[in-house]
Amino acid sequence: MQFLNLSLGELLGLVGGISAAVVALYLLDRSKRRQIVSTLHFWAASDVRTDLRHRRKIQQPWSLILQLISLALLLTAIAGPRLGVFDGGGRNLVVILDTSAYMGASAGTGGTGGRRTTLMDEAKALARAYVRSLPSRDNVMLVRADALATPATAFESNRQVVEDAIRFSQAQASALNLGQAFEFAQRAQKQAQRSGEIVFAGAGRVGTSESGLAAPSNLRVLNVASTQDNVGLRKIGARRRPGAPDTWDILVAVRNYGTQTRAVNLELQFAKSPAGSARMTLKAGAEQEAAFAYKSKVAGYLEVRLDSRDAFPQDDRAILELPPQTALRVAVYSNEPQLLRPLFGANPAVEAVFDSPANFDPAVKADLVVLDRFAPPMAPRTNSIWIEPPASGSPVSVRETRKAVKLERWRPDSVLGEGLRTQDATLDSAESFTPAPSDQVVAEGGGGALVVARIAETNGRAIKLVAIGFHPGRAPMKYELATPLLIANILRWMTPDAFRRLELQADTVGTVTVPLEKDVQAANVRVLDEKQRPLPFTIDNGTLRFFSGAPGAVRVEMGDREMVYSLTLPDVAETVWQIPAGVRRGVPRAAPVSAAATDVWPWLAVLGGLGLLADWLLFGRSRAFRMRASRMVTPLASRMAARVSMWRKAS
Amino acid sequence: MPEPLLDHVVLERLERLTIHWKQSLPGLVGGHNTSRFAGAGQEFLDHRHFHQGDDLRAVNWRAFLRLEKLFLKMFQLEPRIPVRLLLDISRSMETGNPSKFDYTRQLAAALCYVGLVRLDSIALQPFSGKLHDAFLASGGRHRFQPAVNFLSALKSGGKTDFLGVARQFISEYPQRGLVAVISDFLDDADCEKPLQYLADFGHEMILVQVWADEDREPPWNGELELEDAETGHKIELAFDAEARAQYTAAFDEHCDHLQRIALRNNGRYVGVPTSVPIEQAIFTSLIRSETLV
Repeated sequence: MQFLNLSLGELLGLVGGISAAVVALYLLDRSKRRQIVSTLHFWAASDVRTDLRHRRKIQQPWSLILQLISLALLLTAIAGPRLGVFDGGGRNLVVILDTSAYMGASAGTGGTGGRRTTLMDEAKALARAYVRSLPSRDNVMLVRADALATPATAFESNRQVVEDAIRFSQAQASALNLGQAFEFAQRAQKQAQRSGEIVFAGAGRVGTSESGLAAPSNLRVLNVASTQDNVGLRKIGARRRPGAPDTWDILVAVRNYGTQTRAVNLELQFAKSPAGSARMTLKAGAEQEAAFAYKSKVAGYLEVRLDSRDAFPQDDRAILELPPQTALRVAVYSNEPQLLRPLFGANPAVEAVFDSPANFDPAVKADLVVLDRFAPPMAPRTNSIWIEPPASGSPVSVRETRKAVKLERWRPDSVLGEGLRTQDATLDSAESFTPAPSDQVVAEGGGGALVVARIAETNGRAIKLVAIGFHPGRAPMKYELATPLLIANILRWMTPDAFRRLELQADTVGTVTVPLEKDVQAANVRVLDEKQRPLPFTIDNGTLRFFSGAPGAVRVEMGDREMVYSLTLPDVAETVWQIPAGVRRGVPRAAPVSAAATDVWPWLAVLGGLGLLADWLLFGRSRAFRMRASRMVTPLASRMAARVSMWRKAS
Repeated sequence: MPEPLLDHVVLERLERLTIHWKQSLPGLVGGHNTSRFAGAGQEFLDHRHFHQGDDLRAVNWRAFLRLEKLFLKMFQLEPRIPVRLLLDISRSMETGNPSKFDYTRQLAAALCYVGLVRLDSIALQPFSGKLHDAFLASGGRHRFQPAVNFLSALKSGGKTDFLGVARQFISEYPQRGLVAVISDFLDDADCEKPLQYLADFGHEMILVQVWADEDREPPWNGELELEDAETGHKIELAFDAEARAQYTAAFDEHCDHLQRIALRNNGRYVGVPTSVPIEQAIFTSLIRSETLV
């Protein structure tokens, strides 16, 4: 006989302790109590039993014995005794179920009713068969392995729980990290005692670094045969062409994972309309890229499709969401628009509208307003550039207006003055400003500030303005390279979002590596998921890495550059793990079920319950019954006696 | 300031009550209970022949005109008789929860207040083995607070000796009156003789028996070592439900015996367990026994 829940020592200790407590309570219940009463008159006068013959002895010993036996039976039932051959060799086994992306590949028509089965279905069937072959005393832990090894159960003796976990396992989107799964299984077995086998069930498609991975000594492999014939999309990139923002440069990478040369058709659709196609011939194991250009200002979905017709269709299609083209709207109020037109018309990301100062509208729908040598009665409600503003209406107080002012220097410490150089530039006429303490001085000359930038708070919104004391469209600044650079700096400073470079990429789930530009500072880098929650990342040697185990979109913001990763492509490993020689394979023969192992705890529980019931019927209930009867009978008897005495007196 | 024994709501309800006695006892005019004595009262009692020296104002002149004989009208006297409250403060009164001692003080306070409102003279006389210092309350309700102070300052202790107390009481209070004994009447000696002694002396007797629930039906089971609260004597016994029933029957027999003593001497008996709220005891038990009307 063996006990499932308690050892024999624990059971004996528990029975002994509880029995001692029961006896102590029993004796305490029947121990002598001290009471102070008003008088002893009635105690002595009434027919109270004053003989204490049983005072030092246990009263109702059969009741106590019955209670102790019943409690012992119940505790033994709790210990879970089993009759049969004692076998303490139950092992702890770990079943690693491959749930990598490639397990979703088709395995042919093996399902019921001609349904197409996947490699996952076959691996689950093998794992289920293995679990059923194990002796019932063994404990099984199920681990789902893709890029991460995740335990689905603890070491579980209940086979139904393990089979349920196998049934609910599904192929994920990441590649298999087999080394990590083995390491996890060995660590789990090390913590538990009596370790058994580590069983791997799956196709075993791993990265090239793991193709020759050494196997644990106690490994058993339930191999699922898979075809290598697969051509799939590896990566898709899209970004607006710098010189033509309305044009998308699209790059598609396709890989042939198989062992034979394959020719496939690649098709692009934007908003359900054909956007490009290419015929690609890929050698075995080769990766090839195809470039496309597509012109569109509007938003839409770019769908890339590969007609490979292989066993793994999940990587044959990908969709990217392309945002609309955004342009910076600039309203220029000038009586001489021809002077400013080259400055704002040169940038394709800027849409400049020129108008007369007489038509000034403070609520004009523009991202930026340029005021050329005039001061409106009401300041614009958006960002603005003031060129030689009149002293009476200038937002920055004008110190003086002088002739032949030498532009002495550009302030390199200012964001707007970065990279600006002029040599011996003398302005015919210029205004110098008296900047406020919070203002940024961009250029100095003639003993004052010639260009001043300011951020003003209006209705809780930060509005930026720049005051330029000279006209950038007139000589001699008209011929200086610093002039368009100054305008570009101003536009970038005022509306950084409009000049942010956006790159879109469809990539595989898992670890994503992003090369960083040299001037990117780690403090300016943010990695956000679809719900704008920050994701952990590392930066090492100019490379940013982050991990995403589930499909979704991830944004990487790096200053004026933003990359959107649409992690929707499954991560297909390149090679198949070479199973080392000597590793056991296949499902072993089912262990014979020990017929003699029988649970006896229900019988013990019933016997214990019956014992307690008998004790209550024989001893407990009779006491209560006697108490109730005496209460009922005594007043009745006294009333009867009183009536008899009255009848006697009357007679 | 001691905590009030009765709250003002109970006191307001007590103002409508009167201590009632049945016997015709001699006393000063001004009481509120009728008697068979003739005197200066309001209620007509009888006629008698006129004798020389009688008050001419009481002559029935109508009868003289009709019968040409002088008859004198007699009126019913309403005497003011002394009310004495004998309070048991022995150690046995400490038992129970709430203790019988506290319950007794509350009952005494209630009777004292009723008497003071009706301008009766109330003597609060504590006793155990002998009579202790008494407190005489009279002169109206404004004398109630000193009576409460007196009751609150009482300390329990001593062993009950009804016989000795009865003898001492008769010697110290020669005038007959109403005697209300508030006690548990659980003296080891039989209390019939001293109570009969008081009745025979002419006092009208009200026996108010206060008991705790454990006095009537002890809740304990098994082997007990019992100690008498007054004498300190101990006995050891085994107690079960059957014995409890017998004990309760003996206690009830004792109560019946007390009731028979009271009724036999034209007195009254009230039995009150301390588990009954004091308001219920006053306005139900005492009124039902005609101690208060």
